[in-house]
Amino acid sequence: MDSIADGPQVQVKFVTQQRQFAIPETGIQTPARLRRYGLSQIINLVLQNEGEKQRPFDFLIDGEFLRTSLAEYLEEKNMSTENVLTVEYVESMLPPTPLSSYEHDDWVSAVQAHRPGGFLTGSYDNHVRLWNKQAECTQVLTGHNGAVKAVQWLTSDGDNGTLLSGALDRSILAWEYSHADNSHSILYECKGHTGGVESISLNATGDKFASGSADATIKIWTTIIPTVSDHIEDVTETRKKRKTVKEDRILKAPISSLNAHTGPVSAVTFSSTSADTLYSGGWDHSVRVWDIENSVNITTKNCEKVVHALDYSEHSGLLASGHADPVIRLWDPRSEDSSVVKQTLSGHQNWVTSVSWSPSSAYMLASGSYDGLIKVWDIRAKGALYTLSHGKASKKVFSIDWSNDILLSGGEDNQMKIHKVQDMTDRAEA
Amino acid sequence: MPSTRPTRKATGTKAAPAPSKKVAPAQAPAKKAVVAPKSKKRTVEEARDESDDEFGEVAIDMASDDDEEDMDGDDESDDAEDFPEEGEEGQDMSAADLEEDEDEDSEGSYMDGDSIVDSQEELDDEDDEESDFDDLVEDDIDPNFGHNLNEPLAPESDYNPIVREYPEIDPVYDSDSSTEENDNTVGDIPMHWYDDYPHIGYDIDGKKIMRPATGDELDKFLSTMDDPDSWLSAHNYKEGQDVKLSAEELEIIRRLEGNRIPDADYNPYEDQVEFFSSKTEIMPLSAAPEPKRRFIPSKHEAKRIMKIVRAIREGRIVPRKSGYVPPKPKYYNLWNDAEDKPREEHVMHITAPKMKLPTHDESYNPPAEYLPTEEEIKEWNEMDKEDRPKNYLPQKYNALRNVPGYGQFIQERFERCLDLYLAPRVRKNRLNIDPESLIPKLPSPRDLQPFPTRLAIEFLGHEGRVRSISVDPTGLWMASGSDDKTVRIWEISTGRCMATYHLDELVTSVVWGPNKEVAVLAVACGYKVGLILPEKLFSPELTLHSEEYLKAGFANVATGEPNPKAQWKQPTPAEFEKGIRVWVHLQKPVKQVTWHRKGDYFSTVAPDANNSAVLIHQLTKHQTQQPFKKNKGAVQRVMFHPTKPMFFVATQRYVRQYNLQRQELVKTMQTGVKWISSLDVHPAGDNLIIGSYDKRLCWFDLDLSSKPYKTLRYHQQAIRSVAYHKRYPLFASCADDGNVQIFHGMVYNDLLQNPLIVPVKILKNVHQRVDALGALCVEWHPTQPWLISSGADHTIKLFS
Repeated sequence: MDSIADGPQVQVKFVTQQRQFAIPETGIQTPARLRRYGLSQIINLVLQNEGEKQRPFDFLIDGEFLRTSLAEYLEEKNMSTENVLTVEYVESMLPPTPLSSYEHDDWVSAVQAHRPGGFLTGSYDNHVRLWNKQAECTQVLTGHNGAVKAVQWLTSDGDNGTLLSGALDRSILAWEYSHADNSHSILYECKGHTGGVESISLNATGDKFASGSADATIKIWTTIIPTVSDHIEDVTETRKKRKTVKEDRILKAPISSLNAHTGPVSAVTFSSTSADTLYSGGWDHSVRVWDIENSVNITTKNCEKVVHALDYSEHSGLLASGHADPVIRLWDPRSEDSSVVKQTLSGHQNWVTSVSWSPSSAYMLASGSYDGLIKVWDIRAKGALYTLSHGKASKKVFSIDWSNDILLSGGEDNQMKIHKVQDMTDRAEA
Repeated sequence: MPSTRPTRKATGTKAAPAPSKKVAPAQAPAKKAVVAPKSKKRTVEEARDESDDEFGEVAIDMASDDDEEDMDGDDESDDAEDFPEEGEEGQDMSAADLEEDEDEDSEGSYMDGDSIVDSQEELDDEDDEESDFDDLVEDDIDPNFGHNLNEPLAPESDYNPIVREYPEIDPVYDSDSSTEENDNTVGDIPMHWYDDYPHIGYDIDGKKIMRPATGDELDKFLSTMDDPDSWLSAHNYKEGQDVKLSAEELEIIRRLEGNRIPDADYNPYEDQVEFFSSKTEIMPLSAAPEPKRRFIPSKHEAKRIMKIVRAIREGRIVPRKSGYVPPKPKYYNLWNDAEDKPREEHVMHITAPKMKLPTHDESYNPPAEYLPTEEEIKEWNEMDKEDRPKNYLPQKYNALRNVPGYGQFIQERFERCLDLYLAPRVRKNRLNIDPESLIPKLPSPRDLQPFPTRLAIEFLGHEGRVRSISVDPTGLWMASGSDDKTVRIWEISTGRCMATYHLDELVTSVVWGPNKEVAVLAVACGYKVGLILPEKLFSPELTLHSEEYLKAGFANVATGEPNPKAQWKQPTPAEFEKGIRVWVHLQKPVKQVTWHRKGDYFSTVAPDANNSAVLIHQLTKHQTQQPFKKNKGAVQRVMFHPTKPMFFVATQRYVRQYNLQRQELVKTMQTGVKWISSLDVHPAGDNLIIGSYDKRLCWFDLDLSSKPYKTLRYHQQAIRSVAYHKRYPLFASCADDGNVQIFHGMVYNDLLQNPLIVPVKILKNVHQRVDALGALCVEWHPTQPWLISSGADHTIKLFS
C-alpha cells in the first residue's frame, strides 16, 4: 500500500445505488493515479470482500465511465484535485461468454428467448423451430410458404404454449405446441398483408399484437383464438390455392391497419409500459409512435436512414433503433421534436439490423449488425463495452434477443448463438 | 588733386537724378578742359622750385604765394566761373579772388610779358616733367588722373596706357629670310625617312641636298671639349647641321622650362577696359534720346483693356461675388510619409520601402541576452560578409558618450541610396489570381448527403459475369442476369437469393416492368426475350393480375399473321412452371431490353439485325413494330422518355431523340465520343447521360444544346454503365477499372439554372478485374440512396 499511496491524492466520495455494496459515504483519500482496478480494490477492501467474494466494479463520474486514471480524468476535464470527487460505482458486467450454438438448415432470421419453453427461431427454410437449453430442436413448425422473418412468443408454461410467426409469404401464423405429446398445430392464420411480414410485437397486456410488413402497413390483431374464419374479401385468390393450401386454416382479419408509413415497415415494438403505445420504423426513414386504440400516429421522427430495428426499454424510457448505417440511435419517444436523436452509438461497420435492450438495466443494450458482430453497449460509456463475434467472419446477424442472462443471436451462418450474460437484475436501480 | 576730386564727386551726385543728366554734359567738359591744365602748370612750377614738396601742399601754396598770382592772370575769369560750384573751398577762393581782382587792376601790362616767358619754359621742360609725372601716376590709384595729364600730348594713350614695343621691320627685299634660310623643300615630314639616303631633301630647283658631312662621336666629343658654347647648339634635322641658338632663343627655352609665357614682353594681366560700368559716362556709347513711346501709354494695351471693359459691361465677364473666398492653397507636411498621403494616389507611384527600425541589439547598451558569446563572435568573423545575417555585432558601452562613430555609416547610407535609386520598384502587371478561385465553387460532398459510401451487402451466388441488374419498383427485390445462364432474384435487404431461373443462353439484360400493378421481369437471353413472373415474391392478387396481363396477348395474336422479326411464343409447361410466361423470338441476339414507363411496351436492341435492330413490342397485344426503316449506325442503346412519347436511340457516336407520335427526329446529340456504351435519361426527362468506351461520361441538357453540357473523364477504363437515381439527385457510372463513381447531379426546376454536377464519391475496386472487365452494371435502388453494382467477378454489391 505504501507504493500506492505515492503521488498526488484526491478526496473521493464513493456512492452506489446497489444497496448490497454500499459503503459509508465519507471522503476517502485516494491516489490520483489509480485506475478502475485500483478503485475496485479499494471498494472491495472497504467491503471486506476477500478472495472469491471480490467483485469487479466500474466507476462513473458525472454519468460517464471512468476509463483512465483519476488524474488523467481530472486533467481532461480541467477539474481541481482539491475538491471532493463523487464517484459512483456499480458492479462490473462480466464479459459475456459463448454458451452454445444451435445449428439450422438455413439462415436464421428471427430468434426469441426464452420462455420456459425454450428458444424460438425462424429460418429462411420456412420453418419455425423450438429449442430447449440442451441445443435440441424440440419442435419444427412447418406451415409457412416463405422465409420466416419474425417470431413472437404468446404464452408458454414449459411444456405447452402458443406462439406467432410472420413470414415472407405475407401471413402470420399462430401456433400451439405441446412438448408432452410432441405435437403442434396452427391455431389460425392472420391474413391481410400484401407484403412480407417483417416484424411482430406483442403488447404488454398480451391481448393484441402488431405486425409490420413490406406493404407499408402495420396491422393490429387480437390474440383471441377464433373458432371460425373471419370473412375476408379475397377476390383474387385462385380457386386452386384455396382448395389445396388454406382449406383447414382458420383465417383472421386485423382489427385495424395503420397506413402512415410510405415504405416497408421493418420494425414494430410495443411499449412495455403502455399497452396502447406502439412504435414502428420503416424504409421511409421514420420512427413513428402510434396510439393503437385510436389508430393515430402520435409523433413521427425522421432520420436520414432506413430503420431496420427498434426496441423500447421500460427502464430508461428510450427507444433504440438500428439503421441502414452503422449507427444506433436512441430516441426519447415522448419528445415532440421530430428529428432529435438523443444519442448515437457508433462502432459497427455495417447496417445494424437488430437491437435489444437489457431486460433489467436502463443502460445496457445489445446490437447485431451485418458486419457479423454483436456489441454490448452501456449508453453511459463511449464505445461498446463488449464486442462478440456471432460466428464466422462477417456473416450477417439478422436478429438478437436479450433475455435475462441469455443473449441470443441468429444470422447468415445458419446458427443461433447463445451467449451467457451476467444477470443484471441485481444491478437494477434501487 | 583737391581741385579735381570735387568735380568727380559732383558729377557722381548728378548722375543719379534723370533730369539733371541733360545739363551735366554741357558743363563738365568745360571744367575739365580748363581747370585741370592750370593746376598742373602750377604743380610743375612748384616741382621746379621745391622738388620735394608734397602734392597736397600745392593747394595751400596757391592761396599764399603772391608770385604765382601773376602767372595765372589770364585764367582768372575761368577760375571765377568754376569756384562757386565747389562748396568746400568756396570761402578760401572768394578771399583769393578779392586779392586777384586788386592785382589785375594795378599790374596788367607786366603780367602779359611774364606770361609769355613762362609758357615757353613750360614747353621746354615738358618732357622732363612728364617722366616725373608718370612716376606719380603709377603710385596713384586713379588712372584718370594720368589721362587728364596726358591729354594735350597723346589722346590715344587714354585707352592704351602701356605701349608695347616690337622690333622694327625693315621692308627690304631680303627682310623675309624664311625661304632662303631653309631651302629644303620636303616640308614638315619626319626626317628619318631620309636616313637611308645620301641626301636629306630637295632644294627649290628639285636638286638633291646632300647630307652634310658629320663627324663621328669622337669629333663630337672633341668639339664639345673645344667649343665652350657647344651645349648651346641644337641639331637641325632638316639641314642635318648643328645650329647655335641665339640668346633670344635660349631665353625662350628658359622661360618655357620655367612654365612661363615664352614672350617676355607679354603681360597676361593687362588692365581691363571697362566699357560698361556703374559710372555714368560723360559721353555714353549711345546718346540717342529716350524714344517717345516710353512716355506715352500703349495703344494695344488700351485696346485690350477696353475689350475687357466692354465684356464686363455687357455681362460676359461676371466679376467675383463679394463673398468669394479664394481657395486655400494646399500645403502638406513634406516630412510626413505614409499617413497623410501627400502624393496623389497614382498607379505607378510606389513608396520607397521603409528602413527597418533599430532593435534592441542595436542599442549601445543592449540587454545581456543580445550580446554575442565568444563563439558567436568567432562564427560571425569567420562568416562571409554576404552570409552574415547582420553587418554588425551587438556591443555594450558604459555610457552613450563612449560610443564611437559608426564606421559603416557612410557605407550604409550609400547602399540605402543605391537601393532607393537602383532597386526597380516596378509595379508588375502580374495576374494575381488565386488558383483556388478558378476552381468552380462546388458544394462540399458532405452537404450533398445522402449518397452511398460503403459496402453494405454482397449478393453471392452467380457463377458468371453479372451483366445486368434491375430492382423492382417496390424496392424489395432485385433481379440479375449473368453469363452463367441464370437469372436470380434477390431480397435486397438481406442479400438472400430468393429465386433462380436457369435459361439456355447467356443473359444479357434483365429489366423489371415499371408498372407496380404488374410484376413482370423481362429477360434478354440469346435470340429471345422472356417475360418472367416471379410468383412467390408477390401477393396473390398481384400475381393473378400479372398472370392475366401476360396472358391477354395470346388471344390477340392469333388474328394477325406471324411477324418474322419477332415471334411471340408460349413457353413450354416446364418453363411455365418455372415462371416464364412469354417468349419473344427475334432474328438476332438481343443485347438490351427496356420498358416504356407504363409497362405495356418494351423495346429490344439487337445490334446485329441491321434495320430491325430496334423493335418495340406491345405486351398486351403481342405486337411488334419496327419504328425505324433504316438505322443510322449501329444501335447501342435505346430508352423511352420517362414522361413524353419520346424515344432515345444511341448509336456509336450519336444519340437521337425521336418523337414516337409524330414519327419524326427531334434532336441529334453530338456526343464527341467514339463509342457509346450506355445511356440513361434523367427521371424528369430533360437531361441524359451517356457513358462511352473511351472513358467519358457526357451529360446532355436537352434544352440547352446538342453538345454535352459536361464531359467527365474520371474513369481509367471504358465506362460500362451509367444510371440516374429516380428520386435523389444522384447518378453513377461504372467502368472496366472496377471503380464505381457517384456524382451529385442536381437538376433545377428553374430553366435558367444549369444542372449542378459534383463528384461525391469514388468507390474503388468494387469489382475485381476479370479478363479486362470490371464493373459491368450499376443500378440505383428506386427509393433509397443505395447503389447496386455488378461485375465480372460474379458478385453484386450494394452500397449504402
